[in-house]
Amino acid sequence: MQDALMIGFAGLAVLIVLIAIRIPIAYAMILVAGVGVTILNGPAIFLSQLKTLAYGQFSIYDLSVVPMFVLMGNISTRAGLSKDLFRAANAWLGWMRGGVAMSAIAACAGFGAVCGSSLATASTMGQVALPELKRFKYSGSLATGTVAAGGVLGILIPPSVVLVIYAIIVEANIVTMFMAAFIPGIIAVILFLLTIAIYVRLWPEAGPPGDAVNLREFREATINVIPVLVIFGLVIGGIYFGYFNPTPAAAVGVFFVSLYGIVRGDIRWKDMRGALLDTAKTAGMIYLILLGAEMLKIFMSRGGVPQAVAEWMVSSGLAPMTILVLLLVALIILGCLMDSLSMILLAIPFFWPVLVELNGGDYVSAAQAGFGMGTEDLKIWFGILALIVVELGLITPPVGMNVFIISAQATDVPMSETFKGIIPFFLAEMVRITLLIAFPIIVLWMPRFLSG
Amino acid sequence: MNEGQTDNRAGVQTFARKIIELWALLGGLILLAVVLMSSASVTGNALMGTPFPGDFEIVQMGVAISVFCFLPYCQMTGANVTADIFTSGASPRTIALLGLLASIIAIGFSLLLLSRMWAGMYDYIKYEETTAILQVPHWWAFIPILISLVLLAVASFLTLVDSAQAVSANKTGSL
Repeated sequence: MQDALMIGFAGLAVLIVLIAIRIPIAYAMILVAGVGVTILNGPAIFLSQLKTLAYGQFSIYDLSVVPMFVLMGNISTRAGLSKDLFRAANAWLGWMRGGVAMSAIAACAGFGAVCGSSLATASTMGQVALPELKRFKYSGSLATGTVAAGGVLGILIPPSVVLVIYAIIVEANIVTMFMAAFIPGIIAVILFLLTIAIYVRLWPEAGPPGDAVNLREFREATINVIPVLVIFGLVIGGIYFGYFNPTPAAAVGVFFVSLYGIVRGDIRWKDMRGALLDTAKTAGMIYLILLGAEMLKIFMSRGGVPQAVAEWMVSSGLAPMTILVLLLVALIILGCLMDSLSMILLAIPFFWPVLVELNGGDYVSAAQAGFGMGTEDLKIWFGILALIVVELGLITPPVGMNVFIISAQATDVPMSETFKGIIPFFLAEMVRITLLIAFPIIVLWMPRFLSG
Repeated sequence: MNEGQTDNRAGVQTFARKIIELWALLGGLILLAVVLMSSASVTGNALMGTPFPGDFEIVQMGVAISVFCFLPYCQMTGANVTADIFTSGASPRTIALLGLLASIIAIGFSLLLLSRMWAGMYDYIKYEETTAILQVPHWWAFIPILISLVLLAVASFLTLVDSAQAVSANKTGSL
């Protein structure tokens, strides 16, 4: 047994080396898992699993929502939604000091409601908002920082691909996770808007007010955005109130976003083709990592690694809250090295058993639990916390992907300025995480309320 | 090698790339078809209380097939994520060599999976396993999947050639 554990840990070490030398994360996982299981149990079991494992994994019903949400996001980025959202937000908020930046945040939030990807949200809104921010002479760091930070709303506001994957790993209900993400998402928007308000109070020249629009523009902009709100209401509202499962909801979402784009004339065959090919890249990448993660999970549990890590953490004598914070910090650090999805798939299978043990096992009552809540609630709460911290990796050095994307668009602003512009939003995120750790009810209220 | 041979090889590569892209598009169209079916089913259920029986089986099988169709394109375009941070200071030649290694792993994996899933298909044929409601034989799905895996091996070979060319270009180019 001890040997199996050693092989498991050796496998992890090799995995890290392979990832460090640029082997695609999915292949690194597959290679380590294949060799590891072969060493532990001989080749026969692994070879026979390969017959159906991939097909079984790729045809999991709960996962089918992922390529659909990816497609919905890719069509949305081409369907002119972003322009309508920004125009409406600007009509409502633009006249204030810092208002154009606030509009960008609001539009990012709206776009996040139809798109489950942070990068897509940042790049799409960047194209629309950055020229406007420049026109009103916003400082480079505020302008780029706002859009890069706003991008994370793409993932924080449901639908969110990362959240679906998390739910599948810990066997949580996807619908419940989407419900739980809603209020924290709204809080993120409010905190980001407040951040801008404080920022422009301190440095008024960084964010001058935009144009006050006349009544006609106000009305037109507002009416134009209604279809977007209806699509979001149908998809997410439909899921929340139990009218349909996430997969048909996503399908309906794809249908309406396409219809919207086609009617507006923004989506032609060329655009649809681009959306499909982009979806092929993202969905293929996600599924291959999922397959690797599944194989790795088989290897690691044969070796007994997650259980050993959990026991070791529990016997360390640290308070549950301390370990929770340590795990979140570990996720932030990992987030500096790899993309959020790979990280969730690599880390959560190790972290989750630790938390369950600390909490007092699977069937603990809330009164006796280490975190003062049952396992199901812990699943939801930790999922939202993990979602937030993995997204921080997108806006922090050294691999802040959102920042890279925005920097590529705003060629006149040095990347260091963008990172500087991110700092206030990063602090806002810290405030939010602290709030959610201190008051888990913010996360848990909505699922309880909606499911009665 | 002479000019004609080079042109010929380039021609074969271009053709393979085109096929892989079209195959991914086909996967995308399958996904769109699943989307339309699922939307129609849920609308039918909402308006008349009649969903398609077994619609979720079509979703499962359709999505699995379409994702397999995506894999070769994903490999060819380098869409599989890597952690680039540790090698950000490495020379282009080192990066190309590591790319070579990654391509070799991908070729090995695709051929292994191809041979195992080929065997898997025969199991499904032998035991006559079908989906529960629509009675669709599972092995049907394996035909496009196996073609996808062949193309995945081809795509991995293409990235291998790309990396090898980058390695030799940087050997001479560094002068």
